[in-house]
Amino acid sequence: MNPELVEKVTKMIVERIQAQQEVESNPAATTVKFWNHAQGTEPSVTARTVVTDTNSIQENNHGKGLVQFRSYTDDTSASSVGEKVSTNQKESSTKAAIDPSHGIDNPLNPEELKDLVSKTPARIGVGRAGLRPKTNTWLKFRFDHAAAVDAVYGDVQENLLTRLELFKVNTLVKDKETYIRRPDLGRKLSEEAKQMIKEKCRKSPTVQIIVSDGLSSSAVDENAEDVFLSLQQSLQSLGLDTGTPFYIEKGRVAVMDDVGELIQPKVVVLLIGERPGLVSAESLSAYLCYMPKKGTIEADRMVISNIHKGGIPPVEAGAYLGTVIQKVLKYEASGVSLVQKES
Amino acid sequence: MVSIKRYEPQKEDILSAGIDIGTSTTKIVISKFSLMNMAGGMHMPRIEIINKEVLYRSPIYRTPLLTATKIDIKAVENIVKQEYAKAGIQPNDIRTGAVIITGETATKENAQEMVHTLSDNAGEFLVATAGPDLEGIIAAKGSGAYEYSKKTGKVIANIDIGGGTANVAVYKSGKLCGTCTLHIGGRLIEFNGEQIKSVSMPIKKLFQQWGTVLNIGDNRHIAVIQKLTDYMSAVIARMLKCELLSSDQPLILGHEPNWKEKIDGIMFSGGVGECIYRYENRSSGISQYDDIGEMLARSLKESKELSSWEWINPVETVRATVLGAGTQTTEISGATIHADSSDLPIRNLPVYEFDFDNNLFEGLKRLPTAFQNAVDLYDSQREGQNFSLYLTNLPYLGFRDVQQLAGGILDSIKAKPNPKQPLVIVLESDHAKVLGQTLQVQNPTQSIICIDQIRVDQGDYIDIGHLLQTNVVPVVIKTLTFHHQ
Repeated sequence: MNPELVEKVTKMIVERIQAQQEVESNPAATTVKFWNHAQGTEPSVTARTVVTDTNSIQENNHGKGLVQFRSYTDDTSASSVGEKVSTNQKESSTKAAIDPSHGIDNPLNPEELKDLVSKTPARIGVGRAGLRPKTNTWLKFRFDHAAAVDAVYGDVQENLLTRLELFKVNTLVKDKETYIRRPDLGRKLSEEAKQMIKEKCRKSPTVQIIVSDGLSSSAVDENAEDVFLSLQQSLQSLGLDTGTPFYIEKGRVAVMDDVGELIQPKVVVLLIGERPGLVSAESLSAYLCYMPKKGTIEADRMVISNIHKGGIPPVEAGAYLGTVIQKVLKYEASGVSLVQKES
Repeated sequence: MVSIKRYEPQKEDILSAGIDIGTSTTKIVISKFSLMNMAGGMHMPRIEIINKEVLYRSPIYRTPLLTATKIDIKAVENIVKQEYAKAGIQPNDIRTGAVIITGETATKENAQEMVHTLSDNAGEFLVATAGPDLEGIIAAKGSGAYEYSKKTGKVIANIDIGGGTANVAVYKSGKLCGTCTLHIGGRLIEFNGEQIKSVSMPIKKLFQQWGTVLNIGDNRHIAVIQKLTDYMSAVIARMLKCELLSSDQPLILGHEPNWKEKIDGIMFSGGVGECIYRYENRSSGISQYDDIGEMLARSLKESKELSSWEWINPVETVRATVLGAGTQTTEISGATIHADSSDLPIRNLPVYEFDFDNNLFEGLKRLPTAFQNAVDLYDSQREGQNFSLYLTNLPYLGFRDVQQLAGGILDSIKAKPNPKQPLVIVLESDHAKVLGQTLQVQNPTQSIICIDQIRVDQGDYIDIGHLLQTNVVPVVIKTLTFHHQ
């Protein structure tokens, strides 16, 4: 397409938007309310304010109708971007939720619909506008997608590691891009890491707990602490001794094999962030393995997944993990081998 | 041939008994519940009842009476023993179920003793239930009315008419809207050949109102009886519309109809329901009862008022209540719970609901007072009647919150006359394991039963059975409340 035409069309659209903006300067129209799918059946509400960038429109007026695209990395507009982000993150829990059952106009059986919607966190009963999803649904979808991306590229908060007294080691991965492209490197500890673990960790404990960000740093930020503390309490009350816990940055599940070789624990529990989905970007998994070592096959690992606020409550998962570990120790097996020995 | 070993999900079968001792008849069913872990082998277990199969149905016995006001307990026990033997089971094979004493039998002087003897001797965890509201609820579940309303979303009234009472329960989309009980039944007037053998109190009162005289020993007055059964049909119709007249009062047992919904369809069960639909094999022992049951059934069928509703065929008639008691009373707790098995089973625990209103801190401040109230309410004589604490609307709980919650609860139980007795906590949310564990860590000597994923209400009574192999407990909730929207 020719650039002049593009410019012309863009200009027309911007003028349309401006005209609309003037007509409906209704503040409520800029507020999009989300039903937080992840938080249980009753629509508990989160309202997020979507900021219409009035600045840029004004600028457009002065800038002779040219649209300015801002990039996140654009330093010149950094202050205004920062401002925007802070407003964007403004969350309030008001009572007036968008009830998802209202996504459908005039449902035939509203009660049945409500019942169905309460059974799944999936985006059902959201209605449609013509052939497309409604704006609210679409924005929520985009928001969840963005949260998923952020979860992958983020880092776990340092103060969490300090609170839980976890020291940090690295795998062979240096940056996130490599982490995503080279899963094999995320499964191996770096030489420095091995050295540090040898120095700091108690050898041959019954249970070794490790934490790793995996594919979701927010999963660790949000849930690891509760699972960790609850698991420790559970192990204590079952009389099982635990080794020195630590944190592995940019790790994959099988990194526990290296840990098994180094420390020789009976059971390794690895709390690791799951690949984020659109229902939750904060889901944590607890992988367990009886005496993992080089060459451990995947069938011998087991997992309790879906640990997050809208799934298995982290504290309950921690308490339950203790019982599972007890069983693993009793049968001296995990995963499929455990199931076989059990029956 | 090489046999391939497949992964089998955790499974367990348990036996459930239902025993119904009604005004005219007594019957028993034995059923098998199949429990299975519905979560994959690598997830937190989720045990559900996946199938219910009725293994054995007893014949329908006449309820043995010693006198007009006394049940023959020995005879009932013998029936139960004999039927268990026929079904090929022992009392200690029974893991759950309910004994229900219904209709006018519940008013007999030794009714209490009867149900308790049976629930103690006829199975390890067989709970005793009674009360006209519950009877209506159980019958509606057994007759299929509950299922039908759930499936269609319609408002369905189940009218279970036995010998002494008509128990009505109204369901909409599987949710209870209300109940009502009337003195309407087949056995309210009994005949002996051509003569009247007995007339029950409510009917006497009614006749007084009408100025009709009907004495024992009189001949059958077909006209009068016809008028009575027609009147009963009309009362049922008025009750369904919640338009009972003051002159209908003698026939009301307990409260007035308490639903607000307009009824779409009606279903009849019970002995009189059987007279309408004739499901049972005639030779299987239902004899002629020589009472007004048949006439009442005819009046109902021919009633103009009742014909305005859609009539839905029941799945069960005379056995609705016993099937409901045997198959519909048991629920299964969440699979991650904390329970001292030595303290199970526990029966007849009243439920005290404590609403956190999504605020742990404020809730904890109110908790001691609430405990005091609970003790005042359920143990006013300080005799040590235990109760269960039902915690609802808990906010999202982190580990430190759970510690605080456990601490708060342990502080509050000091209000109990006997704090050493088992601390029973029922949670709406999935937190039983961690809360139970935390309570145990904070007080290692306290006996704790902490279960979750059970919905109860203030004023319900719950029974908690033995820990099963799948690590769940069967729970029977005796609910008496309604969910109005």
